[in-house]
Amino acid sequence: MKPFSGIGAACALAMLATPLWADEIVVGDLHPITGPANFYGLPESRAIQLAVEEINAAGGLSVGGESHTFRIQTEDTQANPTVGVSALKKLVSSDVRFVIGPLSSGVGPALFPIIDRSDAITQIIDGTIAEGVTNGRNIFRNQATVSQYDVSVVALFKAKGYGSVTMMTDRFHAGFVGTQPALAASLKELGAEIAGEEGYKLGDTDFSATLTRVASRNPDVLLIRGYPAEGALITKQARQLGFEGQVVWEMVSPPSTVLKNISAAEMEGVYNCIPATTEDYIALGNEKAIALEEAYRARFNEPAGELSVLSYDAVHILKAAIEKAGSLENAAVNAALADLTVEEVPQLISDYVPGEGGQLFDDKGQVTLRSAVSVWQGEGWHPATDVIR
Amino acid sequence: MIDLFVQQLVNGLALGSTYALVALGLTLIFGVLLIPNFAHGEFYMLGAFLTYAMVLAGMNFWLAMALAVGAVILLGCLVDRLAFKPVEQAPPLSMMISALAASIILQQSAMLIWGGEARTIPAPVTGVLRTPFFIVTWMQLIVMASLLLAAAGVWLVLNRLRLGLAIRAVAQNRDAALLMGISMFQVRLATFAIGAALGAIAGALLGATFPIYPTMGVNPVLKAFVVLVLGGIGSLPGAVFGGLFLGVVEVMVAGYISSELSDIGAFAILVAVLLLRPQGFFGQAQVER
Repeated sequence: MKPFSGIGAACALAMLATPLWADEIVVGDLHPITGPANFYGLPESRAIQLAVEEINAAGGLSVGGESHTFRIQTEDTQANPTVGVSALKKLVSSDVRFVIGPLSSGVGPALFPIIDRSDAITQIIDGTIAEGVTNGRNIFRNQATVSQYDVSVVALFKAKGYGSVTMMTDRFHAGFVGTQPALAASLKELGAEIAGEEGYKLGDTDFSATLTRVASRNPDVLLIRGYPAEGALITKQARQLGFEGQVVWEMVSPPSTVLKNISAAEMEGVYNCIPATTEDYIALGNEKAIALEEAYRARFNEPAGELSVLSYDAVHILKAAIEKAGSLENAAVNAALADLTVEEVPQLISDYVPGEGGQLFDDKGQVTLRSAVSVWQGEGWHPATDVIR
Repeated sequence: MIDLFVQQLVNGLALGSTYALVALGLTLIFGVLLIPNFAHGEFYMLGAFLTYAMVLAGMNFWLAMALAVGAVILLGCLVDRLAFKPVEQAPPLSMMISALAASIILQQSAMLIWGGEARTIPAPVTGVLRTPFFIVTWMQLIVMASLLLAAAGVWLVLNRLRLGLAIRAVAQNRDAALLMGISMFQVRLATFAIGAALGAIAGALLGATFPIYPTMGVNPVLKAFVVLVLGGIGSLPGAVFGGLFLGVVEVMVAGYISSELSDIGAFAILVAVLLLRPQGFFGQAQVER
């Protein structure tokens, strides 16, 4: 072997090994920083930043007796599957082994086959609710699934005893479409008649034809499943066309986004069935959520996003798993994640339901977030404590 | 179901008015200058965003709309100078690519300025008109009235002003018009100004009804091209009738068959018109010499 090629190989090996032995552990932050979903993604990315700064300021991580700090490498998915895959490849080519994200239900499934095949990436999903994107081996999720959203809908119907419902679902949202038959069956079991199942697509602006039909059937509930801009428009047009029943949303919907599309008065009394978000935890007096909100406001001069708590939690989950593993090897960290209990991560803000042995994740790598229902009052969502305590 | 017919018809006319309002400017530019102006959707989008920005700053809606229309007219003329005039003599494909490029640049610029989040312009008029037969919002009535006013205004310009005569002459026979001493510069400028103004008016009015976001012009322009084919390219009555017809068909399909089939219904009619009457309802068959 020529001396040059030997030195080259040694350098290459050293470069490959660097992130494993260096003091810095690089965390890939994979969120839509720009594009149509950046109002979800940017607050998630910023919460990761805050959590990492907090951890590093407190001395970092202790891995097998050695001290390490986190460093973030942010890549923008633009909530676009193609861009998301390129962003992941960029992280992989930088030898980033720990990834937090992504957000959208289009990007999550696109990344799944790549990460599922890899033994050099550990992923914690803090955004997408699409089904079937975790494996419990190297892909974990601390966000709810659509099915868990549906649990909140069922809880609301149980509490209120609604007799009929028309569902309007974003037909390009694979998660909502996939769980609709099961949700309809659950509501029927509760005695609710399914008066109609209507579809629309992201970007639609006129729902008058469908809503005229809905108003004529006069169901007790109009259940809207999708994104807030369309949710606001459907709510507004339904009221204009004379629908007098209860409007129920099933979507992450920051009040700032909602109020850009509908007045607070028109939103009054609308229910939203998703697990608690940053705002809910703050309203419930959760001290850690309040501290995060204060830090976020101080740093970015605006309130934290609805999903910021999940991203903050994800960083602490990763830290706890690495420390528990005592190693930076993905296999060891994956095993630690699978075995991690809720109690082992005292910094968690969100309300995770522990598994049988207190585990945070089930065998598929999925957490269970406690069901919640919010109601719009005044300028924002508030926990509907009369429905679910 | 039949008792809902009048309501669905009004829904269709209201939706169709939005299509026709967007299509008016597009048909003018395409009819006179033969430019497939995909950036028309961005005139529409910018009309909405500029109005939004000024209303948010505390300005009266109608004044904000007037200023936005003025700004979009300037932009429209600039787009013509930068994107279309330089490729005037190039093959039609170059014109299409240039139009797409202008559209994407304007979209991305808006994305950088305002972000991708959807929002709605606070409506200047709220509330609904309830009759025994149908319900319609006052904003929808304003859009319908604006369509009629815009169509009448463009008709007056084209048929009662010397400038309109020049525009019509260029639309009929460009070479002959040039030989008669008509200034092509003035005609281009006026056509783009009127087209851009119509797009901006549509954007401001519809932005008070529907959410606005940087890519909001894509779908309406696609629909406007359908309207052009239905009504007949370059025909103002065709744009109005085509828009209303498309709106009513979409609503009837969504209301009486399935909401998921409304787009399929619209494009099926487009194909049928192309097969049976390629010149559209109001267009005239032309013989290539």
